[in-house]
This record gives sequence, structure tokens and C-alpha cells, in this order.
Amino acid sequence: MSVTAILGVDVSKSYRYDLVLSSISLKVARGECYTLLGANGSGKTTLLRLFATLLAPTAGTIEIEGHHSLTQKPEARAHLFFIGHASHLYDDLTAIENIRFALGMRGISVGPSEIKQAIDVMGMGPFGRYKTRHLSKGMQKRLAFAKALLARPRVLLLDEPYASLDEPGIETVNACLKDFLAQGAAVLMSSHDRAHAAAVTHRAGVLRQHLLQEISPSDLPRSYALF
Amino acid sequence: MRSFNLLYWILWKDILSEIRNRAALVSMLFFALNIILIFSVSFSMSDLEEMMPGLIWTAFGFTAVIGLSTSFVAETHNQCLEYYRLLPTPKGMIYLGKLCGNLLFIVIVGLALLPLFVLFLGLHVRQLSWLIAVVFLGALGLANLGTLFSALTVNLRAREVLFPLLLLPLSVPVFIGATEATAGILRGAPQAAYRHWLDLLGIFDLIFTLLSFWMFEWILDE
Repeated sequence: MSVTAILGVDVSKSYRYDLVLSSISLKVARGECYTLLGANGSGKTTLLRLFATLLAPTAGTIEIEGHHSLTQKPEARAHLFFIGHASHLYDDLTAIENIRFALGMRGISVGPSEIKQAIDVMGMGPFGRYKTRHLSKGMQKRLAFAKALLARPRVLLLDEPYASLDEPGIETVNACLKDFLAQGAAVLMSSHDRAHAAAVTHRAGVLRQHLLQEISPSDLPRSYALF
Repeated sequence: MRSFNLLYWILWKDILSEIRNRAALVSMLFFALNIILIFSVSFSMSDLEEMMPGLIWTAFGFTAVIGLSTSFVAETHNQCLEYYRLLPTPKGMIYLGKLCGNLLFIVIVGLALLPLFVLFLGLHVRQLSWLIAVVFLGALGLANLGTLFSALTVNLRAREVLFPLLLLPLSVPVFIGATEATAGILRGAPQAAYRHWLDLLGIFDLIFTLLSFWMFEWILDE
């Protein structure tokens, strides 16, 4: 029996009087990847930020690994890792120092060899010693995944994970996601890159007119008409 | 223990960043040097003894404001504050980490100012250990308010205007207490004559440390 890692029941979100999401219900099991599709402004990022506990829903409930997103925030946050549009990096620190800081803040201690291994897996090689102000957006995205690899969260929330990445970078990220899924993590991501997302997606849905409509993952590459 | 790790990592990151970019310390030191030079050419030596405590805290206080105003700016680059919000740990420890970093930089500048006052304004240092205690307590009061208001205003467009507007009026007890205590120390007065000002600074520091620690969870999440 599959265990639910991400649960949203009748989730709605309004900014003042503007309705963004209306009664969205979503369940993602451990080891499952759910991809959100939708046009710009359809509410993909808002939905991900709601599940990341960065926003409070106007109505409905959200649970991460059985922990309520509002009343059990610390417990919910302990299980999730969010990679959004922001890199969360300090420009004056090197990539390795940023990893040490980010994991240290989560109470995870990792040795230099583990950090080097994560950096190598993400194909960053010598860039680990570079200050992050000198890294390209693509390298910064790889660095974010290196942090996630070491943090080993049970829930991974990804907003446009393929943005800024070159083809080898996308392949590396997908290999990394398959590894997460094989180890039982749940992945909820948004993407415009339907072809690459299809390689890891188990279930998918399109956000349109504030509602989430589930589609078959096999329809992912040709789902543009649903927008 | 895990909470204290948080404090350690914030302090580690702030010190390492400051060593690399020197933004806060250099701007504070140059500002302080300018103020002391202006004082040294504006007042005659005969006026200085009476005015010295006020001059010290004018230079030190406003120098600290310069450094504190940018305390949280680095956290907004690449939305690092968002990462703090996502942490499962109590946010009050993040406040204490930032406070310790700010306090360290302010105390360094404060201690660097004392020899400059001796050199340019002929300050006669008496009861050095008590003077350092006043600098520490005053710096802690300013660092507390500065860290709190820097966090509160960091995402506002009118941050540069609002930060001093919030900080300076609430800093009045720190400035009065520190100036009066410094005056007593420099006069060579017995400890009992200025002890109550040290108590005032200590109580102020304690209240604002506890209040800010408690409020920071809400500040970060809202």
C-alpha cells in the first residue's frame, strides 16, 4: 500500500480579492513524482509555495508526511526541501561553504568527502571551490541539487527544476530525481519542459482557471493544448 | 544543542563574509574616523573634557547605525531569508546568531575608536575595564535594536528611511545610559555614582534580547 507523503485537500488561495487556486486536492505517495503543468500565472509556483509552508492557504488543509502545514510547521519542514527560482546562496562563500552552511543550519553534519561526492555527482567538478557569485545560473541550480542530495529529504518540491540547465545538466538532475524516488522520496514539481519531465513523472496535472485537472503522464509531451 | 549549532553557523557565515568583503567594518571605520577628525578640528582642548562622553557616544552610536542598517541586506540577495523560513528549527536562534555577529563588529569598531579618541582628542582613559563594560553594554543595546529593525525593514522599499526612524528614538535610553556611565568613569567617580546607569543598560539589553528572540519567529514568517 502506498503511503501518502504530500496531501492537499480542497486547497484554495486568494491574494486579497484575486482567486489563484480553487479547491485543489492533491495526493502524492512516497516514491512518486507528480508534475504540475500550466501557463504562466496559472498558480504553479503559488501551489508549490503552499506545500513548502511558505504561504498559508486561504482554505483547505495541507499535510507533509502527516504533519499539518500550519499547526505543525517545524515537523512538516523537517521533511521537505524546496528548490525554487531563488538560489538561497551567499555570494561571498564558495559552493562548498554554501553547502556546509545550508546543511549545518538543518542540523546535518557532512564530511568533505561526502560534499565532494555530491558535487561530482552533480557534475560541478572544480566549481566547488568557486565563490557562488562567479557561478552561472545553471551551476547554481546544480549546487541546489547537491544540497538536496546531502539533505536526503522525504519530500522534494521543485519549481522549474530544468530552468537554466543545459542538456547534460537536465540528464544529471533527472538521474538524481530517479535516485530520490527509488529511495522513497515524493517529488512535486512544476515544469514547462514537458519532454524531460516525462522521463521521471508518474502522475501529472494541468492548472487552468484556478483548477487542477489530472492528465495521463503519457500525454505530457503533447499536453500544450490543455493550457 | 541543535539550536546552538544554528547560532554557530550564522556567526561563521557572517564572519567569513565580512572577512571576504569587509563591507561593514570598512564603512564603519571610515565613518568613525571622519567624525573624530571633524570633532578634533571643531573643539578646543579646554571644551573637550566636559563634552568627551557625548562625543564618544555620538561617534560610536552613529557608526554602529551605519553597520547595522545593512545587517540583513546580504540575506535578501538570492532570497536567503526564504531558506531561513524553511528551516525546521526555532527562528529565535537565527536572531541570536545575527545579533552576535553585529555585536562583534560593533565592539571591534568601538574598541578601535578608543585609541583614535586618545590620539586626536586627548582622551584620558580611566577605569579601562569599566569603560569596556559600558562599550559592550551600549553596543549590545544598539545591536539588539539594529538587528531587530534591520530584519523588520529589510523587505520594505522605504528601508533606508524607516530604519533610522525606528532605531534612533528607541535608542535614546541606550545613549543616555551609556553617556552618563561614561561621564562617571572618565571623571574617575566611584563606581556607586554611575552603577545605576550600568543597571539601566543591562536591563534594557535583557528586555530587548528576550523580546526580539521571541518576536523573530513571527517577523520571519510574516
